[in-house]
Amino acid sequence: MSDPSATPGEAGADAYEASSITVLRGLEAVRKRPGMYIGDTDDGSGLHHMAFEIIDNAVDEAQAGFASRVDVRLNGDGSVTVTDDGRGIPVDMHEEEGVSAAEVVLTRLHAGGKFNQNSYKVSGGLHGVGAAVVNALSEWMEVRIWRHGQEHFIRFEHGETVQPLKVVGPSGHMTGTEVTFKPSSGTFTKVEYEFAVLERRLRELAFLNSGLAITVTDTRVVPELRTEFCFTGGLGAFVEWLDKGKEPLFKPPINLTTKETEGIRVELAMWWTSSPRELALCFTNNIPQRDGGTHQAGFRQALTRVVMKYAEDLAKKEKVELIGDDMREGLTAVLSVKVPDPKFSSQTKDKLVSSEVQPVVQMAVADALSHWFETHPKEAKIVLEQVVLSAAARKAAQLAREKVGRKNALDISTLPGKLADCAEKDPAKSELFIVEGDSAGGSAKQGRNRANQAILPLKGKILNVERARLDKMLGSAEIGTLITALGTGIGSGEPARGGFSLEKLRYHHIVIMTDADVDGSHIRALLLTFFYRQMPQLIEAGYLYIAQPPLYRAKRGQEERYLKDDAALEEFLLEKALSNAKLYLPGGMLEGAALDEEVRKLRQISGRIRRISGHVPPEVLEQAALAGALKAQPDLESAQRLAARLDAIAHPAERGWMTTVDAAGIHLHRVVRGVTERLNLSMALLNTPDARWLTEQFPTLERDYATPPRLTFDAVEAAPRGPHAALERILAQGRRGLTVQRFKGLGEMNPDQLWHTTLNPDARTLLQVKIEDVEDAESVFSTLMGDVVEPRREFIVENALKVANLDI
Amino acid sequence: MTPPEKTKPCPICRKPMVAAFKPFCSDRCRQVDLGRWLTEAYSVPAQPSGEEDDGAV
Repeated sequence: MSDPSATPGEAGADAYEASSITVLRGLEAVRKRPGMYIGDTDDGSGLHHMAFEIIDNAVDEAQAGFASRVDVRLNGDGSVTVTDDGRGIPVDMHEEEGVSAAEVVLTRLHAGGKFNQNSYKVSGGLHGVGAAVVNALSEWMEVRIWRHGQEHFIRFEHGETVQPLKVVGPSGHMTGTEVTFKPSSGTFTKVEYEFAVLERRLRELAFLNSGLAITVTDTRVVPELRTEFCFTGGLGAFVEWLDKGKEPLFKPPINLTTKETEGIRVELAMWWTSSPRELALCFTNNIPQRDGGTHQAGFRQALTRVVMKYAEDLAKKEKVELIGDDMREGLTAVLSVKVPDPKFSSQTKDKLVSSEVQPVVQMAVADALSHWFETHPKEAKIVLEQVVLSAAARKAAQLAREKVGRKNALDISTLPGKLADCAEKDPAKSELFIVEGDSAGGSAKQGRNRANQAILPLKGKILNVERARLDKMLGSAEIGTLITALGTGIGSGEPARGGFSLEKLRYHHIVIMTDADVDGSHIRALLLTFFYRQMPQLIEAGYLYIAQPPLYRAKRGQEERYLKDDAALEEFLLEKALSNAKLYLPGGMLEGAALDEEVRKLRQISGRIRRISGHVPPEVLEQAALAGALKAQPDLESAQRLAARLDAIAHPAERGWMTTVDAAGIHLHRVVRGVTERLNLSMALLNTPDARWLTEQFPTLERDYATPPRLTFDAVEAAPRGPHAALERILAQGRRGLTVQRFKGLGEMNPDQLWHTTLNPDARTLLQVKIEDVEDAESVFSTLMGDVVEPRREFIVENALKVANLDI
Repeated sequence: MTPPEKTKPCPICRKPMVAAFKPFCSDRCRQVDLGRWLTEAYSVPAQPSGEEDDGAV
């Protein structure tokens, strides 16, 4: 039909024919290589693009301010109908082409209103190929135009006009255009539209065009599916929808809408969530750019510059340098620019290359962001904290790669030199002792069973924080060494790339062995906190233990005993002393088991007396308990009884205790060689639970100890003045002939002692660390280690004991 | 004695803990914590005794 040799202008009658040939050539090219114009014809993307081209034209009418709704209908015969209430495609004759303007728009490539910026300032359709391409690739297309009060109709088949535009009657509508087309099965291997795909794009368009109502109806199914979108919240609503179900760092999103600058309009909505991923959508004239482009570059530059400025101080504090990625963690943003005559890197418009857009976007975003940061200090702080944390996390990942051996953990050659490994390779049978201090490490290396016990000495590093303060910490090399020795890797990455994996753990007994002093307990708490935070799985699996090295060695003749703490030492002393002791109470003589029972009571009484004996000596409180003078409501009678008892135990020359009672408690005084000595049993003391408990014991105490009882150890005899004194006397007896050595640290034990007390599985006691134990220690040490320096000092005083006794 | 058990806050950012990242709220905070260990940011007060620790560097 077409004749390539024909040239226009041969004859007047041929002019029409000749120009037609040119047009057919253009559309033939489209049919020949549809992929170039519409995208993939096999996977469905090109097919959907057909509908989007027509929809975009309708939306352009809305953007230009002439349409308020777009209706899309999927018909049973495979065709799609798109209707708008815009101005309607021009129907008058096109002077140059000699046919109706509508026909030109729908059949000529590179024709249409989009070149003339007076008709459409901006549009998504590019170079006007849209409608003509869709027409060329459709089995048929029918267009109804309502304009000038009349309904016009035109029909095409495979892009050729089969019914030129004509008026078919008066218009019942206001104005508008309705395009129905059936994609050609000759071009597309798949001609079924997917409702969900259309729905997604239409939702996007509705968000991008605030106030525009868009409906999509699927009449191919019964009952028909219908969705209507109309959003008035603009891009902010889009951002909220994208992050539905997520918790943003602040509400509402940052919103920016600029006036036209150099013909360009910028709209932006953004916020941050705590999720680690970034979601930034970029649109030019309603068309998404998957690969960003100049608008995205301008946005990122502005974001980086502004956030960098505001986060400077915080970043310095955390000792990190920020990069652009840090500020985009958790960012959700929708950036939409309206640009006249935009340029893209390809027909599919995946990347914007119009260079004039970048500075406009950058300026607009920088202004808006700076303003937001200035006016939202509270929200800004939360954002900046997250940005700095992201940077810190990034830096940590890098550090972990540098400091922790990355090679195969089973490769012995990569194990740290400080580790004295064991011969055993089965983790279930292997033990690792983490020992603080080099000297202790040396003893442990010599004393251990090399077959299955490995020793890793760790040094606490002393740090002079301020002139008056010393701090102790685990050096980064120590942490790195520890992780490498364990073999587990660290962090959330893939185990193959160094991430934590419990399966790779080289020992199923990991024993923390530190000195039994405050420093030792601090290092232990540091280690526990490290394990709890970075390797909780290891604790949950029950692999973490605390060694129980002895605090005392008691020796009498050839007999030797190791005792782990003060309580054990007391037990031991009592055991010795009570073997041949007799206590004569008014109710009868006690020995053996009966005496053991009584001593248990004495320990309780003595313990409570010592606990409340802040300013008052225990000997005095003991007498107060025997006089019944520890009552919460003190009375003169018991106070005088106490004074009499004190006189009775005093040196004859130092007697003369006087007493008064008032609302502040019991006051005692005496004058010894001209000096007045005063004692006060304050109300605070009298109100302690211990004082109350001792008062409850008064009848028994008075019965048994009002008169000093007789206490004998074989030939030795004593008359203690009360229960506390009785216990002290018994302990003193236990100490006779005994050498008690207190170990200041593990280093004071020789290898043999260490083996017998702490390493030997048959003799040692190991405490298995439970996750709940560490949770407590963790919160204690969160405060200890935190950067809040001030409450920290107080805290350690209060909690040192608690932490030291973690294992009780 | 102790107040009723509440969800412990993330030790890094004080947001509520998330079980999957226990005791943190997120992988980011766990990573930040690791970074602090590796940059020697965590320390405990040492005994201000006269004994010099031979570990001092």
